[in-house]
Amino acid sequence: MDLTLLLDPTYLGQNLVDGLSRGAVYSVFALGFTLIFGILDIVNLAHAATYMWCAFAGWLVLTSLGLPLPLALLASMAAGALVAVGLEFLAFRPLRREGSDRLAPMISSIGASLILVSVAEAVFGSQTRRFPSSVLDPHPLLIGGPEGLRVTWAQVLIVSISLVLMASLGWFIRRTRTGMALRAVAASQKASRLLGINVNSIILTAFSVAGALAGAAGILVGLLTNNIFPGMGGQVELRGLAVVILGGMGSIEGAVVGGIVLGVIETFTIAYLPGGADFKDAVAFLLLFLILLVRPQGLFGQKSSVRA
Amino acid sequence: MSFTKSGLFWVLLGASLLVPSLVSSQGLPAEIKIGALETLTGDSSVYGLSIKNGLDLAFDEINAKGLLGSSKVKLVVIDEKADKQEGISVMNKLINDEKVSAIFGPTLSSVAFAADPVAQKAGVPVMGTSTTAVGITDMGDYIFRDSLPQSAFVPAPILAAKAKFGVKRAVLIFESTNEYAKSESEVFKAALRAAGIDLVATESYSHGDTDFRTQLNKLKLRKPDLLVISALAGEAVPLLQQAQEIGFAVPIVGGNGLNSPNVVKVAADAAEGLMVGAAWFRDSTAAASKAFVAAYKTKYSSVPDQFAAQAYTGAYLMATAIKNARSADRKAIRDALAKLSGIETVLGSFSFSEKRDPVHPSVTLVVKGGQYTLLP
Repeated sequence: MDLTLLLDPTYLGQNLVDGLSRGAVYSVFALGFTLIFGILDIVNLAHAATYMWCAFAGWLVLTSLGLPLPLALLASMAAGALVAVGLEFLAFRPLRREGSDRLAPMISSIGASLILVSVAEAVFGSQTRRFPSSVLDPHPLLIGGPEGLRVTWAQVLIVSISLVLMASLGWFIRRTRTGMALRAVAASQKASRLLGINVNSIILTAFSVAGALAGAAGILVGLLTNNIFPGMGGQVELRGLAVVILGGMGSIEGAVVGGIVLGVIETFTIAYLPGGADFKDAVAFLLLFLILLVRPQGLFGQKSSVRA
Repeated sequence: MSFTKSGLFWVLLGASLLVPSLVSSQGLPAEIKIGALETLTGDSSVYGLSIKNGLDLAFDEINAKGLLGSSKVKLVVIDEKADKQEGISVMNKLINDEKVSAIFGPTLSSVAFAADPVAQKAGVPVMGTSTTAVGITDMGDYIFRDSLPQSAFVPAPILAAKAKFGVKRAVLIFESTNEYAKSESEVFKAALRAAGIDLVATESYSHGDTDFRTQLNKLKLRKPDLLVISALAGEAVPLLQQAQEIGFAVPIVGGNGLNSPNVVKVAADAAEGLMVGAAWFRDSTAAASKAFVAAYKTKYSSVPDQFAAQAYTGAYLMATAIKNARSADRKAIRDALAKLSGIETVLGSFSFSEKRDPVHPSVTLVVKGGQYTLLP
């Protein structure tokens, strides 16, 4: 392909915008993942299924109830919190005993994920659902004339909502009493209990926050790609996991930066390599591997002894 | 083992020939049994049920009108469950137990590849009414189909776009993880070459992808005057919508996956102007087609799809062959089918090629006001 065409500044800018919005979704999704991992030291593999259910919840609210988008976002986040809390009660808490290994809850989360996806297939069918076109103005913002940058309202919303969610999560973890308790539980459940912290209720809080983040990611992806179906979690699950590892297990800044890095790398692989679409995942994961060779703890990770 | 099996078959065949049957004035038996193996359960049953409806409707008409004099066709339809093994056993059952004169089906090409050799070996004519894969009729001289293969109708809109918009530079996007889309994209490439249109760039995506902006932006950069999309129905909608979002304002030609009323309905104004090729058009003004749609609506209170139209056509082709052969003999029917040429059908003027593939006009449809319309 002609190099001068690819070096076109508008094309470069457009790919940055698209990469950022793609990455912002990965970030919001990965935040929920990393939160549970940071606190419980377990990988919740039902997070992607929660996210899928939230996308459907948002879709239902928008289409069947005809409510406006902000309410759908709230409904979707509430649905996510609900599903995640349900998971904690049914799939995680029964397995949590002092000294129990980390494998059992992971397997149980895989089971929960399979059940959630199967139920969605039974309820909604495997057909793809779309948001009504009236939800967002389909005309993109034009920056620099009709031949310039095109930014869709979905992209504006995704990046801004993601930023707000990331900032509030950071504030919540660092500045509030509950957030401090969360960090204490992450450091040591035993010590927290001795200090009089209700560990189970703190874990429940963590699950509901993580679920709400999955909910936000679900409806945001729905807006960005307009493609909602029971298997949609599979596309982000592996990437979310990669983002968490890239950013550093349990790190909030890591999830944010990692998500955006992955989104931009993917987009640039497609945009600048011939036939890049066929190996975008390969390139993304190769880079991930290289970064981890240099920094095994991830971009923002700390040695496991001082994490959280 | 295979010797005794086929030996038994010939004994049975000989015995069945010795049984005196009632013969009508035309030399046809009073009842002619025709079999069909179609997918009536499972995911692909939408096609099989349409086909069954088309066959039922046609043979009811044929019997009522007395197209075959006083002899009547008895249709035996058995579910092959979209399964290869099941297809083979149903094929055997139709041939050896039901002793049918000819067979319709199977619904899916994959089942046809497993089951049709059984009929070929037994010398029973088979007509597929929905199988579009390459190589179906290569299985033998008893295998026919009236469903146009991809290569026969997919390229038509390319020529139409060239004539209408003077297209010189085309780009193509297709799903690289789907065999159907891959083979369709090859058909498109060949059609573009044949039409003298430069294919200046090709992009792909994988199953499950939902964000196609980057690929579309990359294609747009080459300033083409035609976008060709080979996708399944699920990805077709976001592809059309995102092409509109990024301001990719060129004519679009879609593959068979985009020939779906649901795609047009959901993609709304992003599908406006989309061109697709098809074997048959439901709102055609041709008399035979209109009469079929009306009769189908009366009998089933629903509108027929392409599969019903092809099955309905197949039934009439079979009846015409039996009439011309003046016989319900399997070989006689095969020979008469092979000779069919210029028959007026729902699909237009119909002939079988030397390779027993269908030859009939295809149509190019363009989306206008949220509906497929015939490209003038």
